[in-house]
Amino acid sequence: MSDGGDEKLSVEARLGLVAFTIDSEPHIRVNQDECRKCSLKQCLFVCPAKLYTEEEGEIKFNHEGCLECGTCRIACPKIDWNYPRGGFGAHYQYG
Amino acid sequence: MEMEEKFDAIIVGAGASGLGAAYSLAKSGFNVVVLERGQRIGAKNVYGGRIYSHVFEKEIPGFKEDAPVERWVTSERLTFLDDSSAATLELSSDFSSENSFITTLSKFNEWLGKKVEETGGLVISGIKVDDLIIEGSTVKGIVAGEERLFADVVIDAEGVNPILAKKAGLRGDWNPHEVAVGVKEVIKLPESVIEDRFNLNHGEGAANLFLGYASRYGFGGGFLYTAKDTISIGVVVRVDSAIANRISVYDIVEDFRLHPYISKLIKDGSPIEYSAHLVPEAGIHGVPKLYGNGILLTGDAAGFVLNRGFTVRGVDFAFLSGVIAAETIRKAHEEGDFSASTLSHYEQRLKESVVFRELENFRKVPNLLSNLRFFETYPKLLCEILKDAYTVGEDSKKIYPLLKNKMRDRVSMITLIRDIISVVRNL
Repeated sequence: MSDGGDEKLSVEARLGLVAFTIDSEPHIRVNQDECRKCSLKQCLFVCPAKLYTEEEGEIKFNHEGCLECGTCRIACPKIDWNYPRGGFGAHYQYG
Repeated sequence: MEMEEKFDAIIVGAGASGLGAAYSLAKSGFNVVVLERGQRIGAKNVYGGRIYSHVFEKEIPGFKEDAPVERWVTSERLTFLDDSSAATLELSSDFSSENSFITTLSKFNEWLGKKVEETGGLVISGIKVDDLIIEGSTVKGIVAGEERLFADVVIDAEGVNPILAKKAGLRGDWNPHEVAVGVKEVIKLPESVIEDRFNLNHGEGAANLFLGYASRYGFGGGFLYTAKDTISIGVVVRVDSAIANRISVYDIVEDFRLHPYISKLIKDGSPIEYSAHLVPEAGIHGVPKLYGNGILLTGDAAGFVLNRGFTVRGVDFAFLSGVIAAETIRKAHEEGDFSASTLSHYEQRLKESVVFRELENFRKVPNLLSNLRFFETYPKLLCEILKDAYTVGEDSKKIYPLLKNKMRDRVSMITLIRDIISVVRNL
């Protein structure tokens, strides 16, 4: 992994800097029926961790790496959004 | 935790407002518990980097000697940024009153948590409150996993995502134009390097806000705060602007870090943490109903943040709202009544406090800062005009023709003057 410098760090590399305890169950779920009707697909670009992806017409969400900000739930009220269970998720040291 | 035990107050969230309430209640001998979903206090808290100290000095004896201050701000900078240039206004002063300081919120809240425990309050980490126990229209307690806990009153200090406040019927959710997403990187650098680069003495700090390029010329801005041996840099973008401009939010802070002005300031420093958080941006217009039967709403969940473009205040407001909630609960306890009519004292007292006075005083600011010219036209204009003015060639132009030329097709002189007046009047 690059240590920054003059090169752009990928979001994956930056997420590697955050301490996480990952739960087995996702705390956020997308509803494919709603996603299919959606033309904006704002979840793909507003998530600061880039955890929403589109694969073969389906929106996928990867809860590992979630920064728990809530931007996606503001941008899309159709997302079934929760915080992770107590003690799970991100552990910020310099928040 | 005993299932039958009834607390005087249950506080949801160990942020600045929840801990402010707990500190004040525990000091008066109340039986309070703070439930924090993070593995430890501070694990979920994120902000830019600066806290205004006035409120804390008033409320916590010996605050200055004891608090985890990394640097006192002595250099205030406002920078207008275009793609390649930066025009900075700096106020460098001794600020002998020690007005604000730089620290991390994780560390600060951890310290506040210790203060609460010293005064006899109980903070339990790793517990997420899933729901409220509501009987009729009265909040009686909380549900956390299998546990049900009861109290005379619940202080909802859950933070910017108002999941419980919505369930309590105190508020609806934020609209995208009422909140911003902030993303931050923390860069590690030696203490002496930071002091040399920012022209600081030992223990002094610099706070820098940015308009223009950082938020891709949309509503929002950038920030930089020098802590002891780290620098926090970040970008804040209003969610409606991120959606409308299809901004890749996951890239904005890296683009900011690699801007020629920023990259020189943090040269040889490597990012050690990446984080994101929402920020209330609606000012007084974002303040919802603050109380119900058996419940009070504090901090970010109540929208207590004031962004004036060149200063942003939230942590001190949050703490004070918690302290005022505690005061209300003492009064309700005396009267033996925790109904909405008694708890309405909270709103009355808040209205007399600095929180409402400031939010009210700057009520036009969110609207003023909804003017895109402040984020695109003016930062670009200023950089371009100064660049031309300082460039010596064959034929140098006077400032006025330069200004007129640059303003053409972008903004009229009348509009410019109007905007200046509205800034001077309202900001």
